[in-house]
Amino acid sequence: MASKLRFIFGAALVALLPWAARAADDSGKWLAVQFPRDSPVLPVSFNMGPTTATMRGASMVLDLHAALVLRNVGDKPICGLTLRVEAQDLSPYGKGSVIKPSLFVLPGEEFPVKVDMQLRRPIAAAKSESAIVQVTVDCALFSDLKAYGPDKLNSKHALMVYEMQARRDRQYLARLLDSGRLPELREELNFGIQDFIPRQLGLELLRGPRATALREQALAVSPVAFPKAPVQPLSGAAQVAGNEVRAPRVEVRNTSKMKVSSVAMGWIVRDDRGTDFVAGAVTAPMQIGPVQTTSITEPGTLRFSLPTGQPMVIEGLMTFVNDVEFADGSLWIPSRADIDAATQDLALRRELATSPEEQRLAKIYRRDGTSGLKKELKRVN
Amino acid sequence: MSANPVRHPSAEILSLYSAGDLPLLLRLRTGRHVRCCAACEQQVLSFRLVKTELRREASSQILTGFEAIADWHALESDMLGNIRVGVAASRCIEKVGHTRKFVLRLAWAAGMAALFMGGWLARIPAEDSQRILTALRKAVGLEQPQFYGTIVRSTPEGIVVRAQGASLTILNPQSAVVSMSGPSSVTARYADDDSGQVTITNVYGQ
Repeated sequence: MASKLRFIFGAALVALLPWAARAADDSGKWLAVQFPRDSPVLPVSFNMGPTTATMRGASMVLDLHAALVLRNVGDKPICGLTLRVEAQDLSPYGKGSVIKPSLFVLPGEEFPVKVDMQLRRPIAAAKSESAIVQVTVDCALFSDLKAYGPDKLNSKHALMVYEMQARRDRQYLARLLDSGRLPELREELNFGIQDFIPRQLGLELLRGPRATALREQALAVSPVAFPKAPVQPLSGAAQVAGNEVRAPRVEVRNTSKMKVSSVAMGWIVRDDRGTDFVAGAVTAPMQIGPVQTTSITEPGTLRFSLPTGQPMVIEGLMTFVNDVEFADGSLWIPSRADIDAATQDLALRRELATSPEEQRLAKIYRRDGTSGLKKELKRVN
Repeated sequence: MSANPVRHPSAEILSLYSAGDLPLLLRLRTGRHVRCCAACEQQVLSFRLVKTELRREASSQILTGFEAIADWHALESDMLGNIRVGVAASRCIEKVGHTRKFVLRLAWAAGMAALFMGGWLARIPAEDSQRILTALRKAVGLEQPQFYGTIVRSTPEGIVVRAQGASLTILNPQSAVVSMSGPSSVTARYADDDSGQVTITNVYGQ
């Protein structure tokens, strides 16, 4: 009888094993925020939100929600910040970052940053004295476009692009306001196009041999040319199979008189219904002299899907020059006039012109109207 | 150092041992003692003798009783019939009991399996299941190892990077616009409803 009871108890225990939840050991240090002493931003407060640890099979899942309040302790306004997020279990193969673009934080002012993440690690993972996840400053960009930080994630370039886009869009909106072109302003800030919704897509970056059994087809890449771009896309091609794009390649020419040190190529994907999605931009470091031509190839495979998870059938690929960095450190981004001249498609034009700053200002305009927008533009300009 | 005093089995144990009624372990232990202990061996023998004597006595009494039965054949038929009915009934009951036990055990096992599967499906991530399945298939030679995998992927919850058996997801709201930001990085952009500020999360893989 006793052995039977033991067997029943053991079997029930095995059956209930997957239901076991809540890690018993929550005493370890999960997240550490470490800023260098000379950092121009320092945490004023650090609050761990509803952080939980759950067992899932042979893994422990940590839901970490950190709310930071940072203060500009420097003597210059900060207009962008990148925080690097590193988990010891993934290091050095995977990491994350949280970027705050379009800031205008004066010395002494404070601003909030939230870091929400989920870490899944094997239960058998080695324990260490340091925190499982570390958050630190990677780059801070000042209003004079000088930067602070180790910049391990090439954040300075990204923050500079965001800041230049922000300045472009502020000037454009200020011009619309000053000249009383309010219908254009309304249209720009998403009140003119009734059915406009942000075009979302799902993305997967893959490495290694092809997974799909579908036959690959060579697809020509159409260039979207900005008239005044210092680097012009000439032609390109990619291997496409279903919703996968492999090794997209584009020929570019430096049409300026300056030496180029990097080019960020933007990619637009057209689905089988003719809808265009801006898939993003990839910066490729390269040295191109004036009037020289070179080829840019993206390694690996990209897999696209709709937000619902349904694979997106790729019918077309387009490319454009998102930004160019010259050897002297200066940066070029397309102007509003360049974007307007590049395409007649209003939706695509909007996709190309939408910047983080425009997104932020649109929120202010919808909440506080024209007066709120004027006030904000006056504050940051 | 002092020698352990010899502990003899009790009379009841020896009696049961002599009749072969002890449980296996106790029987072996008692047997080992009896083979080495003359006194206990003698005791067991005496129990067996008494038992044999009693049997013999009983047998003789029964035979005496049988002699008194006049219609032996009729009684024999009657008894055999009763025995057959009894045996058939016990077999029938035995089958019913076995079937019920079997069904109960099967139901219990199925319940436990369902509970386990429910727990597995609800709690174990699909990629873990896939990994275990793949490992099993590789172990039995059904699948060749392939160096192919997702480096970074967007999900409704956020952007995920996997490496070294662990994964990191930088969470974002569902309204976030996802795009690629490098050869092995994916980005999500969204405006925070509370602060009105724009946040961009990036996840990098290798």
